[in-house]
Amino acid sequence: MDIRLLQPSDLPLIQHANLENLPENYFLKYYLYHALSWPQLSYVAVDASRPRTSPYDHPKIVGYVLAKMEEEPSDGIPHGHITSLSVMRTHRRLGIAEKLMRQSQRAMVETFGAKYVSLHVRVSNVAAIRLYRDTLGFTVEKAEPKYYADGEDAHCMRLDLGPIRAQIAEEEKQMEKLTRAKPWVTWGEIRALAS
Amino acid sequence: MPQPLPPKEAALFRTVVRNYDDKQYKRGLKNADIILKKHPKHGDTTAMKALILNAQGKTDEAFALGKVALMNDMKSSICWHVYGLLWRAVKKYDDAIKAYKQALQIDPDSAQILRDLALLQMQTRDYPGYVQSRITMLQARSQLIQNWTALAVAHHLNDDRATAEKVLDTYESTLKTTPSSRDIEHAEIVMYKNRLVAEQGDYQRALDHLDSAARSNLDRLAVLERRAEYLTKLRRNEEAAAVYRALLNRNPEHPEYYDLLEAVVELGSAEERKKIYDEYAEKYPRADAPRRLPLNFLSGNDFVQAAKEYLTLMLNKGVPSTFANLKHLYSDSFKKETLATLAEEYISSHNDSADATNGDGTKGQPAALYYLAQHYNYHLSRHLDKAMHYVDMAIEKVPQSVEFHMTKARIWKHKGNLDKASEWMERARTLDTRDRYICTKAAKYLLRNNKNEEALKMMGHFTRAETIGGPFMDLVDMQAVWYLTEDGEAFARRGEEGPALRRFELVSNIFDTWVEDQFDFHAFSLRKGFIRAYIDMLRWEDRIREHPFYSRAALDAVALYVKRDDRAAAARANGDVTNGEDAAERKKAAKKAAKEKQKLEREAAERAAKKDPNKGAKDGANRQIDDVAGLKLLDAEPLSTAMKYVSHLLQFSPKNIHAQLAGFDVYIRRKKYVLALGCLNAAIALDASNPKVHERVIEFKHTIDPVLATLPPKVQDLIKSEFKAVPADNTAGQYNQEFLEAHKESPPHVVSAVKARKVLGEDPSKVEKELVALVKGEKVTFEQAGEILEVLKTWKSKEVDTFRALATGRWPQVTIFS
Ligand SMILES: CC(C)(COP(=O)(O)OP(=O)(O)OC[C@H]1O[C@@H](n2cnc3c(N)ncnc32)[C@H](O)[C@@H]1OP(=O)(O)O)[C@@H](O)C(=O)NCCC(=O)NCCS
Ligand SMILES: CC(C)(COP(=O)(O)OP(=O)(O)OC[C@H]1O[C@@H](n2cnc3c(N)ncnc32)[C@H](O)[C@@H]1OP(=O)(O)O)[C@@H](O)C(=O)NCCC(=O)NCCS
Repeated sequence: MDIRLLQPSDLPLIQHANLENLPENYFLKYYLYHALSWPQLSYVAVDASRPRTSPYDHPKIVGYVLAKMEEEPSDGIPHGHITSLSVMRTHRRLGIAEKLMRQSQRAMVETFGAKYVSLHVRVSNVAAIRLYRDTLGFTVEKAEPKYYADGEDAHCMRLDLGPIRAQIAEEEKQMEKLTRAKPWVTWGEIRALAS
Repeated sequence: MPQPLPPKEAALFRTVVRNYDDKQYKRGLKNADIILKKHPKHGDTTAMKALILNAQGKTDEAFALGKVALMNDMKSSICWHVYGLLWRAVKKYDDAIKAYKQALQIDPDSAQILRDLALLQMQTRDYPGYVQSRITMLQARSQLIQNWTALAVAHHLNDDRATAEKVLDTYESTLKTTPSSRDIEHAEIVMYKNRLVAEQGDYQRALDHLDSAARSNLDRLAVLERRAEYLTKLRRNEEAAAVYRALLNRNPEHPEYYDLLEAVVELGSAEERKKIYDEYAEKYPRADAPRRLPLNFLSGNDFVQAAKEYLTLMLNKGVPSTFANLKHLYSDSFKKETLATLAEEYISSHNDSADATNGDGTKGQPAALYYLAQHYNYHLSRHLDKAMHYVDMAIEKVPQSVEFHMTKARIWKHKGNLDKASEWMERARTLDTRDRYICTKAAKYLLRNNKNEEALKMMGHFTRAETIGGPFMDLVDMQAVWYLTEDGEAFARRGEEGPALRRFELVSNIFDTWVEDQFDFHAFSLRKGFIRAYIDMLRWEDRIREHPFYSRAALDAVALYVKRDDRAAAARANGDVTNGEDAAERKKAAKKAAKEKQKLEREAAERAAKKDPNKGAKDGANRQIDDVAGLKLLDAEPLSTAMKYVSHLLQFSPKNIHAQLAGFDVYIRRKKYVLALGCLNAAIALDASNPKVHERVIEFKHTIDPVLATLPPKVQDLIKSEFKAVPADNTAGQYNQEFLEAHKESPPHVVSAVKARKVLGEDPSKVEKELVALVKGEKVTFEQAGEILEVLKTWKSKEVDTFRALATGRWPQVTIFS
């Protein structure tokens, strides 16, 4: 598996994964809109195991997170939002969703100064709720009755990105310390830092 | 000169323009009519009226009026501009560009016309033209950042990166204050400029620029990745390694970073290499890549050790996707065997952990049984009876596992039993009816079994209930390419060619939409400022039709059109000019379509009535796909209709041998011999030993020999010098015989050689009997037998039933022969 930033050429197979996994679907243009408005925020998981059989093979997308910044936040606080997240059933429980989310959250802080990230999830979606709440630390902020087209309620969940911001700042400070003398750190120094 | 209006009407005209901008079309038309009542020949007003009609979808009326407007006032830039907009709306970009240019000659300073022209120049990839437009636009308004970046983009795409860079330099020198470090737009300009420098090959300068201008750039990931790349190019390996390590700390699941890191630290032995991975495995307990990737390069005992650790970890946790994560190792047969042995050992040493199950799946022994089921189902280690054995054991232990049932369905599919495959996928689905993935698979397996109607119903569990027109409409709306393709292929197998062709056309239309989708971003992205992403998007759009989603549907469509043309030709040859059989099919299809339509309308009415009992079916309430049954496509001339697909295939997927063969099939039937030969030679270059290529070589030789002398001398010379597949002193018959003898061990080659005999004029019934005899060949697989059956069916052979009986006798569980 390969976790990396979304590229425009991934879009048809991201759309495919979304159609395969979730009832909330979008035009390709909506994915394009994400890719061109917040190019740092969306990630994919690629099945790297499939040998290429033609020069036109596209890497198979087995999971994706499509994310954005709230454009006009009603609370005036810059924050991110998860538009869609799914992993093909053949590739679930490998930690893919968790890793996609973490990459996206980090970029929300670094590039767009997001203070928190929010999302909606079906109240019946046990797997997703465990992922958000137990693994990633989201909390339920409020309920949105009948949020989904079929009448199901949503939990509106959010995660304060403060700790991630603090962690990034700490990393940068360490880097800064090391680089004061020289423009950039060497391998040995980074390793020392890591241990 | 525009015709002047008195002040009152002039004011009203401005209102019309505003009405149009605000989408108040009715009011706009009313106001325009007031002006036209007094000034019936007023060009600009007529033009605005045309524009509004067009926005209301009345294209024909709009064009007629647009022309009247021009006739009334050839010297009005508005009339020409509107005329261009009308062309643009019907996607005739060249005509639109011509009209805009006329408008600009009259009014060279119009920002709006210039903008519309530039958008189209980008859409049609007229880069030199775009550069000119952007220069003019920048001169008009240099205070807008986006005018600077747009000009840089223009030069960049026009392959002049140095000038593009200079444009950005100039822009920066006009800045009076340094932009804030949180200014995302500026951050992107910096990174874009950096890319321009690097793309000129000057990595030192790119690195310096990065270090000075981008040190705290907001796009941290890009800065680190570029920095590592430049340092590597400059052979500053130690520093590059440090940056790759920083990148791995961010994302230890990106295999490329490990590869690149290994390359710059120049590690030799597997042992040394593994140390790096161990370090990250230890540091990130939840990381998968550093634990799994060493399996790629370890060998012998080290591999066994590491594989055992990894497998045990995954099976203990009960990760159902373990096999998916390891199957790439199977190209190495030692690793393949080792993994199976390890799984077996795991089973015997975990005999009593059977009751330990986790949330949704299984831990321990069942997970190992499941691993082995997938192992024996995989094409490189296939033993389907063993696979079935293991999956049954796994299901016995965990009867509620969706994954296990899903795999059982797959095993049945590989055994060729599509009934059972579909049945088991349905069982898997009922174990978790809320998961769309498994429902999608159940629908896919129904389609594989040619159950289109049931599949659509299945899809309906998750399509939006409120979509007018039902599940099919929703799937088309949502651009479900996979569904349309599978649906079309199932219809094709059922012999219902109209719906099949229409599905493939819908896929092609989706690609048209995707190409058109970029249009709005030409303005949007420059405004937003994410230039690098925008350029990546343009490059992708340039090649969008090379996607296998497109080529698969296109190839399916071409194959059907060729089949239809052959049938029509055969009928003509038998004196049946109207092609009675196809005509009867057409009638049947039309009848069925009419019935289907009635049913849909009835359902729509019912739905609408349920929602609001006071209303019947409203206008929009029975929105349907135009000609779902594909009757228009059945009436179309097959070969010229196929050309749309062929030209896309040859333009975008020339290295796909099936694209070349499809091109050949259509060209040779259209008697375009030189083009057919071009495709044939391209196919030979891709894979000379492919049996399908051989069939075409024979067909070409057989077709060209009798007509060659009648062709223009130049064409004759060309064909003689370019067609080298069959030696000049060889007849097609001899050549075919030699091919057969050379490949008599390979069933697909034998089939092709036998098929070729019919082309060469041998007694069809004799050839058909020979094909039937092949079913007894020891090496023939049921898939190959299925292909032979298709050939016999296409030929309307009398042997079809005999063949079915023989094949069913040999493969009783396989469903495709019944
Ligand atoms: C088309 C595609 C998106 C379908 O994805 P999907 O529905 O999730 O399908 P899967 O990943 O389950 O794989 C499709 C089938 O191919 C088989 N397959 C996958 N990889 C394979 C390989 N390397 N060799 C042989 N068979 C393979 C699988 O067994 C599967 O069979 P199934 O019907 O039993 O499920 C996917 O195959 C893909 O990404 N392919 C990349 C190339 C591509 O786009 N092809 C276009 C075809 S329209
Ligand atoms: C929800 C979903 C995205 C999770 O993807 P995933 O890659 O399998 O999840 P991960 O492997 O990263 O799981 C991380 C954690 O989430 C929790 N989790 C994930 N799937 C779970 C399940 N089926 N049951 C219970 N917990 C689960 C676990 O705590 C897990 O950690 P663990 O494996 O160490 O126990 C996936 O199941 C999916 O695509 N579902 C369908 C689409 C969907 O519901 N999307 C979410 C819409 S809001």
